[in-house]
Amino acid sequence: MKQVGAVLRDYLVLVMILGLALLTAIVQPKFISPANLVNIMRQFGPLILVSLGMTFVIIGGFIDLSVAGTINLVAVVTISLIGPLGQTGALVTGLVLGSVCGAINAVLILTAGAITQAEALFITFGMSTFYSSIALIYTGGSTYHFWDLKKSPDMFLAIGSGSIGVLSVSFVIFLVALAILWVFHTKTAAGRAISLTGGNKTAARLAGVPVSRSIVLIYTIAGFMAALGAIVLFSRITTAAPVIGAGFETNAILSVVVGGTTLKGGKGSVLRTVMGVLLVILLNNTLDLLGVSSYMQWAARGAILVFAIWLDNRKEVQGNQL
Amino acid sequence: MNRLYRLFVQQKALVAIAVILAVMAFSGTEFFSAYNLLDMLNSSTILIILGLGVTLTVIAGGCDLSIGGILVVSGILSIQLQNYVPLPVALVLAVLSGTLVGFVNGFLVVHQKTEPFIITLGMGLLLTGVAQQLSDAHPVPATNPDFMNISNGYQFGDGMFTDGQFPGIPNLVIIMVVCFVFFAWLMRYTAFGRNLYAIGGDYDVARYSGINVITNKWMTLVISGTMAALGGVLLSSKLNTGSAIYGDFTALVVNCGVVVGGTSFAGGVGGIPQSVLGLLLFGMLDNAMNMLSIPSWYQTMLKGAVIVAILWLDSYTQKRKRETV
Repeated sequence: MKQVGAVLRDYLVLVMILGLALLTAIVQPKFISPANLVNIMRQFGPLILVSLGMTFVIIGGFIDLSVAGTINLVAVVTISLIGPLGQTGALVTGLVLGSVCGAINAVLILTAGAITQAEALFITFGMSTFYSSIALIYTGGSTYHFWDLKKSPDMFLAIGSGSIGVLSVSFVIFLVALAILWVFHTKTAAGRAISLTGGNKTAARLAGVPVSRSIVLIYTIAGFMAALGAIVLFSRITTAAPVIGAGFETNAILSVVVGGTTLKGGKGSVLRTVMGVLLVILLNNTLDLLGVSSYMQWAARGAILVFAIWLDNRKEVQGNQL
Repeated sequence: MNRLYRLFVQQKALVAIAVILAVMAFSGTEFFSAYNLLDMLNSSTILIILGLGVTLTVIAGGCDLSIGGILVVSGILSIQLQNYVPLPVALVLAVLSGTLVGFVNGFLVVHQKTEPFIITLGMGLLLTGVAQQLSDAHPVPATNPDFMNISNGYQFGDGMFTDGQFPGIPNLVIIMVVCFVFFAWLMRYTAFGRNLYAIGGDYDVARYSGINVITNKWMTLVISGTMAALGGVLLSSKLNTGSAIYGDFTALVVNCGVVVGGTSFAGGVGGIPQSVLGLLLFGMLDNAMNMLSIPSWYQTMLKGAVIVAILWLDSYTQKRKRETV
């Protein structure tokens, strides 16, 4: 009985995904229509990319609220550079900019000697406002559209809505990113150092694990993935507003935690995050199909975030008792 | 040099206030007029009222990021409930909504031992959603003039700056001072207040010395929720509307203001007067930037930078302390 309970706890997310899907399919047959399934696959794009980056931050025992600001900034800067720099130049600049934003967070956290999640939370929260306001100042508050561009943004259009065979391009980007990050996390020394950092910073440092390097790495990865998410996002909707990233930070944290990566750090996997994102997207889709107002969806997400963290904590408590 | 550093770190808020005053002295604006100073104080009152409750949670080693959500929900409730019940009852119920949320926060954070930062952040998100649903994402106007007078009225005067006449004291300032005195007393002269310092200083030591840590820490979140709801009611009364958007930035600013004053996230240090100074700094910063007619996006950027700088300094001080021990 105890074992059944443990298995159920470990795969609770999967069970919830299946249950939710089944329930929705019964209540609202539109759910399993091909159009809706393609829609779900498309929604996978930006959020999963941001969440994959966030996974490393949380495994490392920190948190990053600045991804919303990073997305805002990267989206408007990248789209505005398509004209002057060309598409490849803009793409590269955007990704570098995101990584730099992440690295700045890491440098602030390192120089301040912040070791708790709380300190990181507040510093990155402040940085998010900072990046967002730079995005607002840069655009003067206006929104950039693809149709205003002098050059054809065909590469970005392909990223946003093209497809390779049956898979959309953004889904392929996700698969490639997932494979690289999974190999990085499980097969390389630098990747495992991140887990060790998150498990116990003092012990890791004493054991000779490069803690500082891990911190720089996790935030740079988070910044890079946020930039990638921003590019996929504005390519899909063909516009970039300086507030485009609002809410991404909480959704990403929600996805990571729901997936089963613990906020206490040290344990977790990018594969779990994929499940978490699937659950969050299914939930949004279900609530949409059931006609729940978008305001109540906000509330539902907050409630699930609180519930998931509580559950995560229970797991820890019960694990210690065994 | 070392003494200068200590002064700078311990009295961050005073140093920053001095800098702002110095800059404004040369700015050639009406910053130092009686009208502006009173206005500045008046507009900082709600932040200070929120900060009083948050200070308790931070001293006890926690924090409360749900105050933004509590603020907007209670603000909207205080107006909508007036349609069903008399004004005083509506106000009490609105404030009690914050008490209830604080109770739930306390259960999750203290009783179930979860991370206060993330849990209260999630709770804030939840409540913002609830507030949007309640108000249908539109501002909710109030119609009762008595309600509006709570925050906009004056005592001992009419609020007019006619020559040589005392303009009176705004109600908000009076409410703030009463709350301030109560909290300062609570933290300094009661067993509850002193227990909180002990709990924030070292949770386990406090537990072993016989302090009921769970109840005491739980109370901090209940108080913080109640104060946030009171702030929400006062804000709605001041603006004569309730809206789901007022709380966006509040949680961050209030928690930072508390830290600026010298109450550290490490717990166990700080106090009510320090928090008031810290929050006054933010009110002053807003006012000064408006006076200098800095565009709003630049204001947000500056405020973000100030917040990061302050938190950086707070962490850095902790690090120095750890390394010298």
